[in-house]
Amino acid sequence: MANRRVLVKRRKAVRNIRKITKTMQLIATSRFQKAFKRAVDSKPYSEKLGELVNDLSRAAGSTDHPLMQTHDDADRSALIVITSTRGLCGGYNSNVLRTAIEHIDRQTDTGGGKSVDVTMVGTKGRNYFRFLKREMADQILDLGDTPRFDAIEPIANRLIERFEKGEISSVNVAFMQFISTSRQRAGVIQLLPLSSESNDDGETSTEGVGRQAEYEFSPEPEQLLGDLLPASVRMRLFQCFNDAVVSEQVSRMVAMKAATDAAGEMITALTQQYNRARQSHITMELLDIIGGAAAIE
Amino acid sequence: MASAEAFHCSVVTPERAILDSETIGPVQFVAFPAHDGEVGIMPQRAPLLCRLGSGVLRVKTADATHRFFIDGGFAQMVDNKLTLLTEQARAETELDRDSVLKELEEARAMSVEGGGHAERQAAIRRAQEQLKLTPERR
Repeated sequence: MANRRVLVKRRKAVRNIRKITKTMQLIATSRFQKAFKRAVDSKPYSEKLGELVNDLSRAAGSTDHPLMQTHDDADRSALIVITSTRGLCGGYNSNVLRTAIEHIDRQTDTGGGKSVDVTMVGTKGRNYFRFLKREMADQILDLGDTPRFDAIEPIANRLIERFEKGEISSVNVAFMQFISTSRQRAGVIQLLPLSSESNDDGETSTEGVGRQAEYEFSPEPEQLLGDLLPASVRMRLFQCFNDAVVSEQVSRMVAMKAATDAAGEMITALTQQYNRARQSHITMELLDIIGGAAAIE
Repeated sequence: MASAEAFHCSVVTPERAILDSETIGPVQFVAFPAHDGEVGIMPQRAPLLCRLGSGVLRVKTADATHRFFIDGGFAQMVDNKLTLLTEQARAETELDRDSVLKELEEARAMSVEGGGHAERQAAIRRAQEQLKLTPERR
């Protein structure tokens, strides 16, 4: 008897959870679409920026911009770790954090004992680093679901400034790269120094050689390039954030779908168990009655 | 519309494309604030690459003029196509006078100690430019 009531209760609880996870899945889906749209909307800017960088570096000849120089003598480097503020998104945060920690350990152990200034984005990562008693130089917790460019810009500017001063040897970003809806990869990319290869990003997509416009420059190409490169660094960081948000929503979607499915299976199993318990109870009662009747005769 | 009298213009920010000739139609004239003063662009202009300052951007199409406040960025004119890349662009309709006035107050109140004079001037100028886009109501 008691057993049956417990089963009913559990089934009810699982049903409620399924309702919640189902809703969360739907919410994540709509957030994903929104985030994805934002990521797509930011494409024209970055493509154009890449094109301009290409046109300019051609015009300016050899480029020796401070952002492209390496500062190997500096004993610090910076790492931005992008995690989420909310949980329930599967392995999203742990994957990012694992990659980040691997990167930090590599820098501190084999990289000649370099210390890493960690800029932690998102509550989840902060809590984890606190738990591990690892140091964080900076924490950014209030970006929300839709990182605005205005919010990213100061972060990038601060790092650019420190890099130009030679305080840090490199700036890296650890985040979940969005490859496709079914594939995301936690990775660390190098933001600074700008490698010349990252400048070529745009070249494959634009008709680089076909359109050799003789531009009129104002101010001089070298100066323009000097302004353009920081802008492209800011943009790349912004895209990292966009990518991270999209991946987060995908992870949550997948995690919630799995949870909903699992809850469904559990309900089936519980219902089966409940029916069996009820049936055996009825059989037992019948046996009682029949046994009693037989005893009277 | 003949391409000789109009050209393609788009304004993009890191977050989205805020204006594109595909939606508003070809434009006839654009004036934007360059780093060293205002620059006007007519159709078939020679290729130009230039840095933007802060100020008012005007985009004139056959039937309307769109105004924006932009702050820094780059302009590229090539193949009769003008692209403005800017990190901040606000449409006329997005600005409201009260908040701009407040921004101006804040800019005026900025401390100039420790070489902040140029920053203060720039902030004041930015606010004043935005003020131009928000005429007093009635």
